[in-house]
Amino acid sequence: MAVRAETPRYPVPWTRGRFASWVATVDHKRIGILYIATSLAFFLAGGVMALLIRTQLAQPDMHVVTKDSYNELFTMHGTTMIFLVVVPIFAGFANFLVPLMIGARDVAFPRLNALSYWLFLFGGIVLLGSFFATGGAARAGWTGYPPLSSDLSGNGQDLWIVGLHILAISSLLGAINFIVTIHNMRTAGMTWMRLPLFVWTIEIYAALLVIVLPAIGAGLTMLLLDRQGWTHFFIPTEGGQPLLYQHVFWFFGHPEVYVMILPAMGIVSEVIPVFARKPIFGYKAIAFSTVAIGFYSLLVWAHHMFAVGLPIGLQIWFMIASLTIAVPTGVKIFNWLATTWRGNLIFDTAMLWALGFVAVFTIGGLSGIFVAVFPFDWQVHDTYFVVAHLHYVLFGGSVFGIFAGLYYWWPKMFGRYLNETLGKWHFWLTFIGFNVAFFPQHFLGLLGMPRRVYTYRDDELWATYNLISSMGSYVMGAGVLVFLINIWWSRRRSPRAVPDPWRGDTLEWYATSPPPPHNFDKVPYVTSSRPLRDVRRRVEERKR
Amino acid sequence: MVVAFLLAGAGLTPVDPDSPNTQRIEDLYWFIGFWAAIVALSVAIPLILFTIRYRSRGRSRTVEGPQVHGSTRLEIAWTAVPVLILLTVVGFTFYKLPGITLDAAAGEDVTKIRVEGRQFYWQYRYPNGVIAIDKLRAPADRLVELEITAPDTDVIHSYWVPDLFPKFDAIPGKINTTRFRGKAGTYQGQCVEFCGIQHAAMLAEIELVGADEFDSWLTDEARRQETRDSDLGAQIFTGVCAKCHGAQGEGLIGPGLTAATVSNAALVADVVRHGRGKMPDVGAGWDDRQMKALTDYLAERFKAESSGS
Repeated sequence: MAVRAETPRYPVPWTRGRFASWVATVDHKRIGILYIATSLAFFLAGGVMALLIRTQLAQPDMHVVTKDSYNELFTMHGTTMIFLVVVPIFAGFANFLVPLMIGARDVAFPRLNALSYWLFLFGGIVLLGSFFATGGAARAGWTGYPPLSSDLSGNGQDLWIVGLHILAISSLLGAINFIVTIHNMRTAGMTWMRLPLFVWTIEIYAALLVIVLPAIGAGLTMLLLDRQGWTHFFIPTEGGQPLLYQHVFWFFGHPEVYVMILPAMGIVSEVIPVFARKPIFGYKAIAFSTVAIGFYSLLVWAHHMFAVGLPIGLQIWFMIASLTIAVPTGVKIFNWLATTWRGNLIFDTAMLWALGFVAVFTIGGLSGIFVAVFPFDWQVHDTYFVVAHLHYVLFGGSVFGIFAGLYYWWPKMFGRYLNETLGKWHFWLTFIGFNVAFFPQHFLGLLGMPRRVYTYRDDELWATYNLISSMGSYVMGAGVLVFLINIWWSRRRSPRAVPDPWRGDTLEWYATSPPPPHNFDKVPYVTSSRPLRDVRRRVEERKR
Repeated sequence: MVVAFLLAGAGLTPVDPDSPNTQRIEDLYWFIGFWAAIVALSVAIPLILFTIRYRSRGRSRTVEGPQVHGSTRLEIAWTAVPVLILLTVVGFTFYKLPGITLDAAAGEDVTKIRVEGRQFYWQYRYPNGVIAIDKLRAPADRLVELEITAPDTDVIHSYWVPDLFPKFDAIPGKINTTRFRGKAGTYQGQCVEFCGIQHAAMLAEIELVGADEFDSWLTDEARRQETRDSDLGAQIFTGVCAKCHGAQGEGLIGPGLTAATVSNAALVADVVRHGRGKMPDVGAGWDDRQMKALTDYLAERFKAESSGS
């Protein structure tokens, strides 16, 4: 009996539903949106933890949360913001944008892409499930140093390890996907020197992840075996070496910092020229400085370990390598400034976030010079000076960049605008709240306040700075509420977005807003790093 | 001077340095701060000027600025100038470094003290065997060398008194050395590497007294500890026990202490040495004399309280 192969119907019937279509999707744009939405949900969770931390610290000897809860909160706040917010939200941006920007139909491995998203969600649930474990959540800091982390009772720490393992696999799959896509699927004419700068940063983001994720995977496996198995890699009573973990962790952990800042720099490099109505100043310098930052980020890990007593020669090496990174970073900042020179600066919300990024990230970069100089770091290491520094680069840097990207690409992603007035409220509340919350923390660190303490010396100055800092954090919280209102506004009140509302430079604006599943009917041949501007000019010339 | 003092008081610079090494770290702070301020201004001024000068003023989005794609000369300049600034910073660091590590001069009188970080107290051991908890007494105007470590059974801590010396981690199985030469006075510090539930309570204090006074105190204290006539038991109770069992033994993280629970010296010694449940092995490695000081103190203190009530 002859069997007639039935023509496969697409989409498969069960995947047509409103909910099921998101579960079954392998479309890079939908996966990108899933990534971004999930990360924003985790961002709210991490933000609530931050507000609880700041409330506990508003005055000395407060009893808002217990000592154990406090330790769980700062551990999970850091882990959430890094592994569940900043890294995956950039994976979301990259998913949505890379194929569109390089004129491709999708990423190279769409199913693998879906797998990495679902692993991310699963890893996030496992990680936050730590709060429900016997003995409470992980509470050894986001760095999880043994022997403290190997000694902790309960299973919170184990869930933390397993959650990070799942997230590492998810990131690794995503990174491989981005690299293959960028290398192989660029449209005709899209040479490396015409690649959008955001795509450059995703290339380096992905390369760094591929290099360093195996290291953290190994370190976490060893830690898990030390806790639940029979090994003693890091347990000193059995001859283990706790410092080994720190080396492994920071070999991963420092490049991870650049994994979190480079795509934000990429977003800023896309936004500033469009809203300055000029080409980016020094395209090659910005592209190559991205590569340089990525390379040097692999050579600086022990600057997190200046207080562990490394030989002075090593500390000198790590100081010089760390300072070196300031050079390509400075190149980027001055190139962005030069891009605004003699421009037609349009202060839409995306541009405010991008310029805000330049302002606060510079402060974070400069406090980084202080802590890179190891004898000075001996003084302020593990104090609030470092807390201030890392929030200036991770919030003032990464998160400002993320918001710039959200306001810029929102119309492309959803076909609706975000409200500009609400957007400006969101920006100014966050910008002011952020500086009020974190600038005084530099002073607290210089005064001697350590990180990761649930209370502090009952001293008027310490109490004043902490109170100011907590007030600032509430203002930031208000900013996030405005953003949520804005999302609601966008869904309910916004007009339909046009394909190219900002007169952009890159190919994603050539597609409709939102783009159709196949992205483009036809991709224009790329002749410069600003293909869309070229298209616009050709069209306008023809009209004449 | 007055301005500098006010700045230091408000936390705009490291706290008042009272030892040559922390003084040099503050010099480093000012030196880096000077260049950081110049760089900050060279970013802030153009940022503010350009945003005001080149703002759109209602011009249409179709109006483009000049299509400038770069300038090799400018880009070389803002690559090279930061390199020079950073080389200056590295050079100044090398210049100050010997004064910060504060190595002893040949033949210089040095007092060496072992500092052990423990959950959640500091145990000091002087060369003549005297033990102190949390509060360190040391000679003023003489070089003091701290050997910072932690026992294998413990976790990583970090010892820091900001006015006197840069911090170093207390790592099981590793000895880190830091030095200071301070003026007479009392200085506050604390653990700065997260070490568990009572990390925030792991305070340290250093009292610097005249060198002669210190020498005679140390000799007397050795004799007192030998004859069990010192306040070592009270120090241990306050530093080791009270942080979890309450200042009066009323219970806090751990259960309350009563005559019934602490009267059995052997049992107390066993729990203190090996830990029990959530309680870490706070007394691992204590010698008998130290353990006896604690058990005697506990027996005395809690007997006195129960008979008094």
